[in-house]
Amino acid sequence: MQPTRCLLKGRSVWKGPHIVPLPIVRVVPGERVRPIRTQARAATILPNFVGLKFQVYNGKVYNDVTITEDMVGHKLGEFSPYVGFLFLLLIPLRVD
Amino acid sequence: MVNVFGVNFHERKFVKKALESFYGLGPQTSARIMAKYTIHPLARIGAIPHKTATALTAELSTMTIEMDARRIVQDNIKRLRDMGTYRGRRHAMGLPVRGQKTRTQTETAKKLNTLERGGTSSRI
Repeated sequence: MQPTRCLLKGRSVWKGPHIVPLPIVRVVPGERVRPIRTQARAATILPNFVGLKFQVYNGKVYNDVTITEDMVGHKLGEFSPYVGFLFLLLIPLRVD
Repeated sequence: MVNVFGVNFHERKFVKKALESFYGLGPQTSARIMAKYTIHPLARIGAIPHKTATALTAELSTMTIEMDARRIVQDNIKRLRDMGTYRGRRHAMGLPVRGQKTRTQTETAKKLNTLERGGTSSRI
């Protein structure tokens, strides 16, 4: 599994970030927002994704990912692991 | 013994080696510091005047070395970890971070890839 090193590392500038058309709907206040279910692990997280909920496929299940500001520039797949499951049980994933 | 930046060095130690013993200070920066204070590249630390040793301490105290440099590296790893990325998790597990194989030859990763990379203790 290859991580994203940084935005556009190893990618031509003229191409820009890898943008995948995702079914992002405008948030209507008062209405419950459904997470965006996707298999596009290679999609770059853009600044307008911040606060949205995604369900990213890891080949088996859809993992919930809530996008924070730090995640901009990384790929969706980095937050949905498919290896090292046993280690994950031993080490808590998030501090919060 | 000559004291530079809170660490005692033996008089026969090269100035270059003494400077590079600090975390975050490499060959390029040490060569630049020595050129600034007109120290010969092969000078021993016992041969430099006392005034220069004090000046070196003053110079080093303005630089980002030792714990400050370590903290930068550790904060970067901690950010990856708190986000829950693959890279942060690989650091916590002490495994290769950039997609290398793990069947054999992961000794360097085991040694280096930790959340407290570079160590937490300081010499000064």
